[in-house]
Amino acid sequence: MGNYIVEMENVYKGFPGVKALDNVSFNLKSGEVLALLGENGAGKSTLMKILSGVYTKDSGTIKIFGEVIEEINPVKAQELGIAIIHQELNMCAHLTIAQNIFLGRELTNKGMLSDKEMNKEAVKIFKRLNMDMDPETLVGDLSVSKQQMVEIAKALSTNAKILIMDEPTSALTSNEIEDLFTIIKKLKSEGHGIVYISHRLEELEYIIDRVMILRDGQYILSMDYKETSLSEIISYMVGREITEKFPRIKRNLGKKILEVQNLNAGPHVRDINLSLYEGEIVGIAGLMGAGRTETTRALFGADFKESGKVFIDGVEVKIDKPIDAIKAGIVLAPEDRKKDGLCTKLSIKDNIALPNLDILSSKLGIVNRREEMDMTKKTIGDLDIRLASVEDNAEGLSGGNQQKLTVGKWLARDSRVVIFDEPTRGIDVAAKVEIYNLMNELKNQGIGVLFVSSEMPEILGMSDRILVMADGKITKELDVEDATQDIILEYATKFDKK
Amino acid sequence: MENSKAPNRFKKLFSKRGIGQVVTVSLGLLVLIIVFGILNPNFFSNRNISNLLRQIAPILLIGIGQSYVLITGNIDLSIGSVVGMSCMISATLMTKGMNPWLAVVITYIASIAIGFLNGKLVSKANLPAFIATLGTMTIARGIAQIVNNNYNTDSIGVGAEGFRNFFYYGKSFGLYNTIWIALGFWIAFNFILSRTRTGRHIYAVGSNTHAAHLSGVNISSTVTKAYLVSSICAATVGLITTATSGMGTMDAGNGYELYAVAASVIGGVSTLGGQGILLGTIVGASIWGVLQNGLQFAGAPVAIRNIVIGIIVIISVLLDIIVRANKNKSRA
Repeated sequence: MGNYIVEMENVYKGFPGVKALDNVSFNLKSGEVLALLGENGAGKSTLMKILSGVYTKDSGTIKIFGEVIEEINPVKAQELGIAIIHQELNMCAHLTIAQNIFLGRELTNKGMLSDKEMNKEAVKIFKRLNMDMDPETLVGDLSVSKQQMVEIAKALSTNAKILIMDEPTSALTSNEIEDLFTIIKKLKSEGHGIVYISHRLEELEYIIDRVMILRDGQYILSMDYKETSLSEIISYMVGREITEKFPRIKRNLGKKILEVQNLNAGPHVRDINLSLYEGEIVGIAGLMGAGRTETTRALFGADFKESGKVFIDGVEVKIDKPIDAIKAGIVLAPEDRKKDGLCTKLSIKDNIALPNLDILSSKLGIVNRREEMDMTKKTIGDLDIRLASVEDNAEGLSGGNQQKLTVGKWLARDSRVVIFDEPTRGIDVAAKVEIYNLMNELKNQGIGVLFVSSEMPEILGMSDRILVMADGKITKELDVEDATQDIILEYATKFDKK
Repeated sequence: MENSKAPNRFKKLFSKRGIGQVVTVSLGLLVLIIVFGILNPNFFSNRNISNLLRQIAPILLIGIGQSYVLITGNIDLSIGSVVGMSCMISATLMTKGMNPWLAVVITYIASIAIGFLNGKLVSKANLPAFIATLGTMTIARGIAQIVNNNYNTDSIGVGAEGFRNFFYYGKSFGLYNTIWIALGFWIAFNFILSRTRTGRHIYAVGSNTHAAHLSGVNISSTVTKAYLVSSICAATVGLITTATSGMGTMDAGNGYELYAVAASVIGGVSTLGGQGILLGTIVGASIWGVLQNGLQFAGAPVAIRNIVIGIIVIISVLLDIIVRANKNKSRA
């Protein structure tokens, strides 16, 4: 291993309301594969986006090849030899492989594009990587893994010396992962420095030289991979004690309300079996991409499912569309409030009425405005949403109140199962507690609550039972008494050996 | 790739940006020509062919401009008004006795200013293209009305004979000059779009703006260039209109922006950006022209022509959507 090619010192980066990076230092040597680890939101992606010029740092110094670099933007990063292979692939689907590789740096001859030459160069790079691809294929026609290879080829064509790979294996099959590892080893032997971000801790042993751990935007430590163990890594990743208060209430377990058998829907929902009882809160834990949101969406009928049976109170119900789920008493408060949860340009009253128009309107479809107002007032009172007027746009509410509204609009109906997806994402601690109270209120009423969360303390603090998901499957079911962060993380990173 | 070479080459040609649809609509064009030819043998007369081509030329010109903008993922609603503005500015200046060629230069400068404004409003100020160009559409129409105090102009006079011949009445090598102008524009802009860096960037911006930006493509300048092309094409059509009627008409070019969308879309240019080739636009404009001319020949009233063209636009896009859905299904 060679000299330091990246040195970042005392980097700070804040977003409104969040300190994403707090005095983080980072370095990388040539010929080294460094695993950058941490829980969701630890700051890994932010740090790498600063290095690749997508974000600008608030303060701190960055040295590339020993030289202090003041400002990095995407073009500058390319000149410096930094390339990032994004988690969400970034390519022009309508252009060919070669056209994508040379996008922004097209080879020309007297002002004319020399596609022939670009194709030739692309093939050269593929040869170097032992890949066999036709440079004239449209990128939109490629599988995700092939697209990723193209991104890597693109990075190499810019003579990048510093490669950042953000969750490169999340969409790959085992064979494809092997191919990727071969390429990574090859790049390493050529002296490239590689930053490898992954939730799949088990794959680290094949390629990693060193690990660096971030937690809550702070640098925790860096050590040689050989001198550490998976359990040690996990304990450093989790680190903190749970300090937030969770108003847990006792569970009065009733009869089984919901049972799901063999639910399959795409690669992220494989053979899901779960059940839910009256007056119970079940938390679904897992890392990004584990298939938690997809599972709730498939259950709710929002996405196409290949197979699976759903029983409510022991009776099978057919759920193909959200309306089927709603009629069966299942409601969903989705992850992205603004995109999926609310019509932000409509008034608060309209939002509450929207899923209940069948109750509120006469046979001719005329909405009873008095009932609408009564329902709105009752819902707002129950949820304790503070607002100036029910005619205001939902847009103007705070995050916490929006979340309450997303859930609350369903409560006017007799629902049996309420599914929350990341109910407290992006809201402050006080609002979180209100959401927890709302969940408890539902629990008291004998409603079954299913909730997806990436925040471990919340899962441990609120659930009666915990389902851990990894790679589209439920890898563990735990009673909350038996659960710890370490156990959850262990099963959340339990991927089939590939 | 794994497959053998020969069928692969063929497949590749088809998979290339919209060649497939160009072939489909070309067959449609052929059918239309045959049908109209059978209905009325005079359809194939030299005179009619020559007229037909001259009818197609302005639609092709504005189609080229709109295709450029559509491929970047935007739209230009100001085309029709720029045609009107160009017609009125050039005619007014000529009636005031200005040298026609100087008037042409000034007309181009004014039109280019509108294109530049469109580009910057969309790419720098981040206005939705629909709104930005709706605004400039109204402004350009207003200018068309104001330049001659809200009157159409008088005849541009004998001094402008050369101008009128150059843009409309004259012939070179047996074809009307209008046709040569449109063809010249097509060749130049097709070359730029398919063979130069700017062209490549236009596709990239429309396909995935974010990826293009991260690859170092200058989004603002690329989008602005597309709008400039559009305004230059529209200005040219305005000049042709002046040359045709020998006067300035305030409502010249009314609705042309949508005819341009029709020509582009029939030819396989995607309104979502990133896709389409100017070869398609030439076929799209031809279908438009053949329908107009053929239906007129067959004695159909304007209303029927409009209905038929509207249906053709919907069908051609619907076909494309169905083809694409099938392709996706077979891949999944």
